[in-house]
Amino acid sequence: MTRRSMGYGSLLRSSPLRLTVGLVVLFALVSLISLGASYLVIRDTMDQSMRADLTQELAGFQAAPTARAVALLVKAEAAVTRSERRILSYNAPDGRHYGNGYLALTGDGFRILSLSEDKELSEWPYLAISRPLHGGQLTIAISREQIGDLSELFLNILLLSVLPTVAIGLTAGLMIARRAARRIGAISDTLDKLTEGDLTARVPNLSGRVDDLSAIATQVDRMAHAQQSSVAALKQVSADIAHDLKTPIQRVAVMLNQAREMPDVPPRLEDLMTRAGQETDGIVATFQSLLQIAQIEGGSPKARFKPVDLSQLAATFVEVYEPAAEESGHRLRVASAVTDGALVQGEKGLLGQVLANLIENALRHTPAGTPIDVSVARVGADVVLTVADRGAGIPPEERENVLRRLYRLEQSRTTSGSGLGLSLVAVIAELHDARLELDSNAPGLVVRLIFPAV
Amino acid sequence: MKILVIEDDATTGDYVAHGLREEGHLVDLLTNGRAGLIQASTADYDILVIDRMLPELDGLSIVKTLRGAKNLTPVLFLTSLGGVDDRIDGLNAGADDYLIKPFAFGELSARVAALARRPQLKEQENTLRAGDLTMDLIRRKVTRGAVEIDLLPREFALLEHLLRRKNRVQTRTMLLEAVWDISFDPQTNVVETHVSRLRAKVDKPFDTDLIKTVRGAGYRIEE
Repeated sequence: MTRRSMGYGSLLRSSPLRLTVGLVVLFALVSLISLGASYLVIRDTMDQSMRADLTQELAGFQAAPTARAVALLVKAEAAVTRSERRILSYNAPDGRHYGNGYLALTGDGFRILSLSEDKELSEWPYLAISRPLHGGQLTIAISREQIGDLSELFLNILLLSVLPTVAIGLTAGLMIARRAARRIGAISDTLDKLTEGDLTARVPNLSGRVDDLSAIATQVDRMAHAQQSSVAALKQVSADIAHDLKTPIQRVAVMLNQAREMPDVPPRLEDLMTRAGQETDGIVATFQSLLQIAQIEGGSPKARFKPVDLSQLAATFVEVYEPAAEESGHRLRVASAVTDGALVQGEKGLLGQVLANLIENALRHTPAGTPIDVSVARVGADVVLTVADRGAGIPPEERENVLRRLYRLEQSRTTSGSGLGLSLVAVIAELHDARLELDSNAPGLVVRLIFPAV
Repeated sequence: MKILVIEDDATTGDYVAHGLREEGHLVDLLTNGRAGLIQASTADYDILVIDRMLPELDGLSIVKTLRGAKNLTPVLFLTSLGGVDDRIDGLNAGADDYLIKPFAFGELSARVAALARRPQLKEQENTLRAGDLTMDLIRRKVTRGAVEIDLLPREFALLEHLLRRKNRVQTRTMLLEAVWDISFDPQTNVVETHVSRLRAKVDKPFDTDLIKTVRGAGYRIEE
């Protein structure tokens, strides 16, 4: 089973990891949104303050009395201003141009027409304000470099805070998921073992704090313990009943034997005692089957299951029953359409019991001269054991009933048999995870047992 | 042989002890598990017949304790429990054979005899003989007097099993276990029909019958 060594596939499907991934994604989204919003707000504020600065600067130039004075001021200012930070441009009324760059107003905004020699432009866009002044046009443009710096800053914040958080969150989630997977694996392994019938299985001591998983583990253990005690009680009860009933039956058998060995027993009495002996054998057989059904249903451990070759077992049983079948006028045949083995996981004794019960059932309930066919075939991933006869069959509405304990069809009340044969087959089939099907053989009965192949 | 029977039911215990004594064995009968364990570990016995459910100490514990103390005396379990699990539990504990109640004395007697012979290692035999019957194990041929008898493989195996245990009763369940390797209690007379087929070939054409029926027990080949 892959349950213990959880692959990454199943790890990714585990709820703790899903939860972590969800939370991390949510956190990252919230961080991105809040960072983005702050960026936009700050950028807006910076934009406005830049605009205010520009307006104030323009106001400074507007204080100059003449165009000439403006030109001189612009010239002086431009000489000490780096064009990548700020561009001043004044188109004087006489047509001359002053400043560290030539800005002109075109239809769709400002355009830098030329820059003074050795000046560089900022890689960022500029924010410009232009006013007519003393017949000329004064334009001041400020690089948005600061805003660029700001977005870089925000990008850094993003890298330094969100990414590590995501990484740490995911790693922690993975670790928690693996821990949980280990504990869930331990619990589900235990449940598997319990289902298989090993009632002594307990969840191994889970390391770590007391939490919901360890609480579940404790509950599983408590349930297993309760189940174990009730099965033990059932076993004790059936053992007690077996002992208390079989001992007197044994005594009766002993007494009958002793009586038969007395000297001068009249033949009629001996005949009666023989029949009484046969009746006690019948009681024992019925009782034995009931006990066996109860034991299997009470949780027979599958730990003793081994691969059993069903076609070989079927051949053996047909061989064992063949002379008896011939004596009662039946033709018992076996057909095995299996070449590569018909291995099923099971208990040989119980599977043999199934074959014996089905063959004896067919011998008992079908008229002389009819065939009984036993076959084992491999169909896909299944091994199918079939016992088919040509007797009266079982009416469809009765097929469920015959699997019930001690149930007998009206027409077979007079024949021997305990009415437990098929119920025992059904119980053994269930223990082996096999499907039991009763069908019409037109005429007759087909009993099919479909086992999962090994 | 010296046999210890530990059985708490007086009727069954007396019956078993009485039957075994009639066969010429020395039998001690105890009804309590604890006393039984003490007796089994202090005195020397050839066979122990132990009931599984006993007062004070159950049969399973007795066998486990004896095996733990390296006491390897063959043990035949008597039990009311007949489940597969019970049988395997019993054999796992160290019992050598297992008999489910109610049983016929013949079955018990045959199994006790089989257990007693178990440790003896047989020398390799190439021919088995009984009366005028000869079984050649190498050429897989059976002859009676001068007449050769054709046997099917399973009939051969059945005859071989009986010949190897000459003069000892083999019960129906013992034959099913040994010849077909299946352990179950058939409701039909399956073993009888196999034996009668074998008889039809081995005994019927001849004057004397080799395979004898032992009433209430099984079959035996007598010299």
